Amino acid sequence: MHFTTMILSSSLLTVFLILTLPILGTLNPNPTKSQWAKENVKTAVKTAFFVSLIPLFIFINEGLEVIMTNWEWMNTLMFNINISLKFDLYSVVFTPVALYVTWSILEFASWYMHNDPNMNRFFKYLLIFLIAMIILVTANNMFQLFIGWEGVGIMSFLLIGWWSGRADANTAALQAVAYNRVGDIGLILAMAWMAVNLNSWEMQQLFSLTASHDLTLPLLGLVLAATGKSAQFGLHPWLPSAMEGPTPVSALLHSSTMVVAGIFLLVRLSPMMENNPLVLSICLCLGALTTVFTATCALTQNDIKKIIAFSTSSQLGLMMVTIGLNQPYLAFLHICTHAFFKAMLFLCSGSIIHSLNDEQDIGKMGGLHQLLPLTSSCLTIGSLALTGTPFLAGFFSKDAIIEALSTSYLNAWALVLTLLATSFTAIYSLRVVFFVSMGHPRFNSLSPINENNPSVMNPLKRLAWGSILAGLLITTNITPMKPLVMTMPLTLKLAALTVTITGLLTALELASLTSQQFKTKPLPTTHHFSNMLGYFPSVIHRLIPKANLVLGQLVANQTIDQTWLEKTGPKMMTSINLPLISSTSNLQQGVIKTYFLMFFFTMILAILTLV
Amino acid sequence: MTLTHYAFSSSYFMSFLGLIFYRKHLLSALLCLEAMMLILFISLCLWGLILASTVFSAGPMILLAFSACEASAGLALLVAMARTHGTDRLKNLSLLRC
Repeated sequence: MHFTTMILSSSLLTVFLILTLPILGTLNPNPTKSQWAKENVKTAVKTAFFVSLIPLFIFINEGLEVIMTNWEWMNTLMFNINISLKFDLYSVVFTPVALYVTWSILEFASWYMHNDPNMNRFFKYLLIFLIAMIILVTANNMFQLFIGWEGVGIMSFLLIGWWSGRADANTAALQAVAYNRVGDIGLILAMAWMAVNLNSWEMQQLFSLTASHDLTLPLLGLVLAATGKSAQFGLHPWLPSAMEGPTPVSALLHSSTMVVAGIFLLVRLSPMMENNPLVLSICLCLGALTTVFTATCALTQNDIKKIIAFSTSSQLGLMMVTIGLNQPYLAFLHICTHAFFKAMLFLCSGSIIHSLNDEQDIGKMGGLHQLLPLTSSCLTIGSLALTGTPFLAGFFSKDAIIEALSTSYLNAWALVLTLLATSFTAIYSLRVVFFVSMGHPRFNSLSPINENNPSVMNPLKRLAWGSILAGLLITTNITPMKPLVMTMPLTLKLAALTVTITGLLTALELASLTSQQFKTKPLPTTHHFSNMLGYFPSVIHRLIPKANLVLGQLVANQTIDQTWLEKTGPKMMTSINLPLISSTSNLQQGVIKTYFLMFFFTMILAILTLV
Repeated sequence: MTLTHYAFSSSYFMSFLGLIFYRKHLLSALLCLEAMMLILFISLCLWGLILASTVFSAGPMILLAFSACEASAGLALLVAMARTHGTDRLKNLSLLRC
């Protein structure tokens, strides 16, 4: 077998093995250590992420895609079911993204759930969910996809109802199962039709037979499945109710990974949908309706997690619109970039909630920019990426989608609704940032506000880097499947940016109205100018001295004292040299392992230069 | 690179990693060293067989002899460590250090 093929397939199987090992480790009858979750599960996901980068780099370098058929499971005369893994663009790119986000979320969860007595079980559920998601993503036949589909559904149920003493949580979990089941009917319908008419569940055979059959019925079933799993309009209420689960669950399942399973199904089976304009129009209109409806709902929510949940739902509607436009690659790109900033928004909200002693109402937060600077900065970065600020992660996918929408010959009503939803995105994002981090504090004074724990800050920083760079990295390294329309009138090109800025300005105006009082009687202003001597003394006598004094303070205090003397002067020497000194003296303790490590580095260098 | 090459290189590399990154017992490092020797032995045998040359026939035996010497040296060190420190755990060497 060819060398790189072997490396790619063995790396991805290694990922599966690394993720499954902690689960198998729980089968032994000895009680697990209290640190099992942090040590075993988080390091397993971290290792799996680094291993899954190898196939990603091979794919970027060579464009190699692999389909492995491992085991013949059930074979009758006419119908074969095998275990078959497909590592193409979608799964090779999605697996590292999902593992990176999951790694950050698990590290966060080790802080968030640290005084939960069943934390080990929580991590086990999250890991089983991750394995089911990767099974879904790498499936090459419908049976395996169905296994992954049901797996993520069940783990979603178990994780939403984690705090099962709470009646709302049980109701939400039941809602999730019921709505997902309705969607599953569509998937089973599609699978049954394919088994009967197309004689196979392998995707290669399905794609080769699409030209000769009328695929409306199974495609409608698939759209129903996506509606259920990805919370499109009609089967959408389970997603905001799913916020009853702990924040790591919301961050992992209901923002980055599980809810994109429906969209991923449609992306995977998009060759079947290409030639069916009815189903494409249904996707388009359903997605447009979902995105505008849930964005409208997000405008006036008061619970921070519900706002982000509706935001997720709105972005899922946008992905469905993209599929309706027959652009599965753009939908997939949005899936990947959306995972980063949405998970970061959830982690920021979890950090805020925990700091304010379990307060989730944004009306009772405020002024957190001074008290939680890193968290509110990450919240701002995430919101900016979500609204499609140029050159952050969301821009590359969202702007491409809206450009494709504007230049297509499809439903103009869907375009208008999507643009409206884009402006609503800016409005509710500003609302969150305004009420949470700006203004004066509105919470109780004895909350344990701190950002001291690195288990929280490191995931936030990592996801912030991802939110900034992911879009750029993916679009510069991976060529899209279809050529995008590059020429369009300037108004259409700037449409997304214009509606976002309009929404932002509207939201700023509306937010500033909360602290003003309308005057009961209008004041006559005609004689004010000459009365106040043309405002000359009041401006010159106050403004210029104040500017001078402020400048003096800035120069003396911030520039000289804080910057030159502390940050870049003598104190910089100490702050840079001290870690170097301590790490060097730690290295030179005479421990054997250090020598082995140097030996290892030398060997690696020798191998790399000689091979 | 053929399958054989890949298999031997990767297993040698894995044993090497096991030698370098061992955690508690010195014995596991020695075991990985033995594994490296075993892989070298098998690859020397196969090399001679594939190239159908008689020149290298003695190679594996010489490697085996030297491997035995080195293994006994390693074990002697292990026994010496066990005699003075009680176990072969690596942390025992640096316990009384600040």
